[in-house]
Amino acid sequence: MSTYVYGLTRSAHPLKLDGAAGVGADPAPLRAVRADGVAAVVSDAPEGLRAKRRDLEAHEAVLEALMADGTVLPMRFGTLSPDDATLERELNAHSGTYAELLSGLDGRAEYNIKAAHHEDAVLREILRHDTALREANEALRAADGGTARERMDFGERVAVALEGHRERDAARLLALLRPHSVAERPGPPVDGAFLNVSLLVEDAQAGELAELVETLRGEIGWLMELNLYGPLPPYSFVDAAPGT
Amino acid sequence: MSVMTEARTTPNTSAGRRGSLYDVLELVLDRGLVIDVFVRVSLVGIELLTIDARIVVASVDTYLRFAEACNRLDLTNNGNATTLPELVGDVTEKGAHGKSKGALAGAVEAIGDTIRPSRDSGDDDKPRSTRSRRKEPAE
Repeated sequence: MSTYVYGLTRSAHPLKLDGAAGVGADPAPLRAVRADGVAAVVSDAPEGLRAKRRDLEAHEAVLEALMADGTVLPMRFGTLSPDDATLERELNAHSGTYAELLSGLDGRAEYNIKAAHHEDAVLREILRHDTALREANEALRAADGGTARERMDFGERVAVALEGHRERDAARLLALLRPHSVAERPGPPVDGAFLNVSLLVEDAQAGELAELVETLRGEIGWLMELNLYGPLPPYSFVDAAPGT
Repeated sequence: MSVMTEARTTPNTSAGRRGSLYDVLELVLDRGLVIDVFVRVSLVGIELLTIDARIVVASVDTYLRFAEACNRLDLTNNGNATTLPELVGDVTEKGAHGKSKGALAGAVEAIGDTIRPSRDSGDDDKPRSTRSRRKEPAE
């Protein structure tokens, strides 16, 4: 039976594993595989486990529970070791690397920020500041929308201008957010967002970051939706693993 | 998903939302420690949730939709009507304090700067927020 791995901690982590349920329809109990200074939090993986939403939630919940009591290296969702012995060998073989990764994350957490323009607001901004586009828009409107070809050409120019706005606003937001973090990593592109970035934030900085986002939301909320998620397990800041 | 954990001493992020897992799904799926000797469970089905963001949608529909959206915008109604100088003043007064202050004012000021043309953006047909989808496979 293979072993589902949630995350790694130091051996000294209290590892309170009683509360959380693991992956699978009938989750097996969580347990620890201990090695030289490092512990892995695991559960037996049910035969033929296929990821479901429920399992993603379980993975996340286990990591969040661990985060409450100490530093954790979150595994990518769905990681399976063939068995406990293989996992233990891996931990022993690279214990120094894992210890170093853990030290780099002490007292820090990931915060993810996503920003998306409100479409009407940003289009209005584009037209307000681009005379040529505004005139083209008026001309099309006067021509009862114009031909399909004209509408398409105009729409393409708007799209180009919009991309400029997206890039510029992303850069501006990042410049504001960055000082409240110790590291950053762009997130994968997600539907609608012109900015998806994860920041590694010191616990002591988290309040400032939240305040800044709140202030920004108040001031430019008419133009964009801005969301801050965290503290999260530091998914985006653990990729210096051996062999990756 | 509860994004905040009670025992943690971190100040709660009042600005953060208790989002659903969906809000950070891409992180749980695409990020996290990878150990080469291990395998991964099948993600069939799960990937459908995120593939959406990785498809570049044919842009003709997008262009037409933008054109129509612009056509129906009422430019005389500024709706949110805060002008740029007001906005900057507000921000500096209300205080994003300390080091963020100057930068914040700068950023707000910058909104509405001349537009720098750039490469095109992808799009889709949802009504409220702008969409850019770029083809980028999961790492």
